[in-house]
Amino acid sequence: MTFAERMLKIDRRIIFLVIGLCTLLPLLYPVGLPIKISPEVRGVYDYIESLPEGSVFLLSLDFDPASKPELHPQSIALLRHAFRKNLRVIAMTLWVSGTGLADQIITQVAREMGKESGKDYVFLGWSPGGTAVIINMGQDLYGAFPADYNGRPTKGLPVLQGITNLRDVNYAISLAAGNPGVEAWYVFGKDKYKFELGGGCTGVMAPGLYPLLRSGQINGLIGGLRGAAEYESLIGQKGKAVAGMDAQSATHLAIIMLVIICNIFYLSLRKTARQQGQSRA
Amino acid sequence: MIFLRRQMPLLITLITGLVFAAQYYVPHPASEQLLTSVTKWLQIIGGFALILGVSSLFHVHAVKIRRKEAGWGYSFVLYASMLGTIAIGLWANGKEAVDGTMTSFGWIYSYMMVPLQGTMFAILAFFIASAAYRSFRARSREAAVLLVAAIIVMMGRVPLGEYILPLSGDVSQWILNVLNASVRRAILIGVSLGTVALSFKIIFGVERSYLGGGKE
Amino acid sequence: MPIETIIGAWVATGLTLFIFSFLYKDNPLFKLAENLYVGVSVGYTIVKTYDTVIVHLIWKPIVESGEWALLIPVAIGVLMLTRYVPKAAWLSRYAFAFIVGVGSGLAIPRTISSFILKQIEDTVRPLMTLVPGEGVLFTWNLLNPASSVNVIIILIGVSSVLFYFFFSVEHTGPGKAVARTGILFLMIAFGAAFGYTVMARMSLLIGRLTDLIEFSDPSYGRPTIWLLLLTIGTMIFLSRRTHGEPPDER
Repeated sequence: MTFAERMLKIDRRIIFLVIGLCTLLPLLYPVGLPIKISPEVRGVYDYIESLPEGSVFLLSLDFDPASKPELHPQSIALLRHAFRKNLRVIAMTLWVSGTGLADQIITQVAREMGKESGKDYVFLGWSPGGTAVIINMGQDLYGAFPADYNGRPTKGLPVLQGITNLRDVNYAISLAAGNPGVEAWYVFGKDKYKFELGGGCTGVMAPGLYPLLRSGQINGLIGGLRGAAEYESLIGQKGKAVAGMDAQSATHLAIIMLVIICNIFYLSLRKTARQQGQSRA
Repeated sequence: MIFLRRQMPLLITLITGLVFAAQYYVPHPASEQLLTSVTKWLQIIGGFALILGVSSLFHVHAVKIRRKEAGWGYSFVLYASMLGTIAIGLWANGKEAVDGTMTSFGWIYSYMMVPLQGTMFAILAFFIASAAYRSFRARSREAAVLLVAAIIVMMGRVPLGEYILPLSGDVSQWILNVLNASVRRAILIGVSLGTVALSFKIIFGVERSYLGGGKE
Repeated sequence: MPIETIIGAWVATGLTLFIFSFLYKDNPLFKLAENLYVGVSVGYTIVKTYDTVIVHLIWKPIVESGEWALLIPVAIGVLMLTRYVPKAAWLSRYAFAFIVGVGSGLAIPRTISSFILKQIEDTVRPLMTLVPGEGVLFTWNLLNPASSVNVIIILIGVSSVLFYFFFSVEHTGPGKAVARTGILFLMIAFGAAFGYTVMARMSLLIGRLTDLIEFSDPSYGRPTIWLLLLTIGTMIFLSRRTHGEPPDER
């Protein structure tokens, strides 16, 4: 076998090792390159900045532990921003396996910012049905969630005063890892109940949400770990997302190099094959 | 009897489908109340659907254990961990934390489920790298276009890429917001047209595969 | 540091490393972790579903608030479960008919409004903007997605891709040019999707390694280092055992 053929058939565990090192080393020895803010993320930030104190902010943490690395930093940054602006936060989730994670996130940030459950925020928990929950909340919030996650009746909570259904929400953001997610919140929520909607999502879903961004159906999009890093920079509290950006840079460059190298070998093989074919003819 | 078995379900689909499609356009309080009640029902039925999905898993692994097929020890681990989690969960009343302190159910969630699920998906990173190396080749002009676009976007979305080549950031923004948005829009419109057509076919009984279960 | 956190750190690190061991070779440690994963996930879902549905959505409203009408969806749900009883499986059709009927009925007008009408509306925007005082303006800025030149590009993209997928008409002559444009747009979009998928997968790995590094801290007793040695040792031991077995030669 020629050198090119051998390189193309290389043991994949060597590639695993390269990726592993490219991820591990920048995490242990960070560099901290500047991060440019994209208009999509700025859309969400500017809108929350413009909300007056006491506005109702609904955050739906529609993801499970598989997407934690990308969406956990997004939720922390958004909650810090919302609590800093003294908004009334309603948190919930449409994914059953993400309930514990969502509870953990909201409790952690609320404690950090000195906010009280029932007065400044409420965690409604999970309810089955996905899109049925959204419609139900749009018709009657207290019917969809008669009690919050800790069993307290939602009717009469100070944070929900004056709210009957989704029409009374000022801004809703869905942090989604799949379906039900941002699309479901638009189709079954914003379409009829007319609240302002923003989106956060994993990198896999992000390109598919750009049509909704362009048409104004969502007013901002936080895509993947990069989006979380941008948001952390905007609120001035750098966290895990910014810390992971160096490793992200290294791995992307590694993949680009791998793809270019593989194509160089492939094209050289194709050229020699064509030359051999011609000389034989 | 045939009517009860075959025609009646189709009739139910027809009536419910038409009623709720029309409900969207009727703002009368009675129609809104109908929507509220029935979506509440859907939540409860959704819970039963989860039970349905889970019970098939029970069945498959129970058979494996009973027949002592190869690898039945692992099925035993699965069963034991499932029953253990259920027992601890019910004992903790389904709560992961009480007044800020973690319960044993919460411990299982944070220190077993989160790392297990997270790592299962994290190893995909390695596989996408090796797959990219093995198969991402410019075999044709279209494949070359795909390759170049992928490289530009990968460069433009990391700080190092924007630092080395500032243009990649702007070009990848343009690709995403204009070119990618137009293609995804076309796909979205096409898929939605298909979904609506399928929904009509289901309502009018042309498409019956969802019924399943039992002889015709 | 409370003892349950330390034990938790060791268990979490161990399970993470067991799954990573798959990258070298499929082995019993990985299979153990894999089956634990399925068992714990399913157990969690069952507990949560029971707690939310049975206790909060059915029992409390019916018994404490007297909402007897909720027995109807319970009946429908039970009908659905008859799918597993072969003789009565036809009863489950009523449940599925109801669910699918309501679901389709709800989805049709909302999907048409959100994803068809609204998306087409945004595609056919005016090509020239009327600025008061300046008259008609055609903007050339490529970086602004709302500029006129980009509106034209989006229109070309959407129509050519829709045409490419329309198979009832043969793609010959002028149709071929449109279809080829569509393919070009599609390839660029798929390239962008691949780039983002790589980004997402790498982020997942970065997240896990961040947690592993956090757990290598001495306050937890350095579980990462010790369990890494244990995992490697176990794998060497297991591979020696399978190599040590004499091959069947007769």
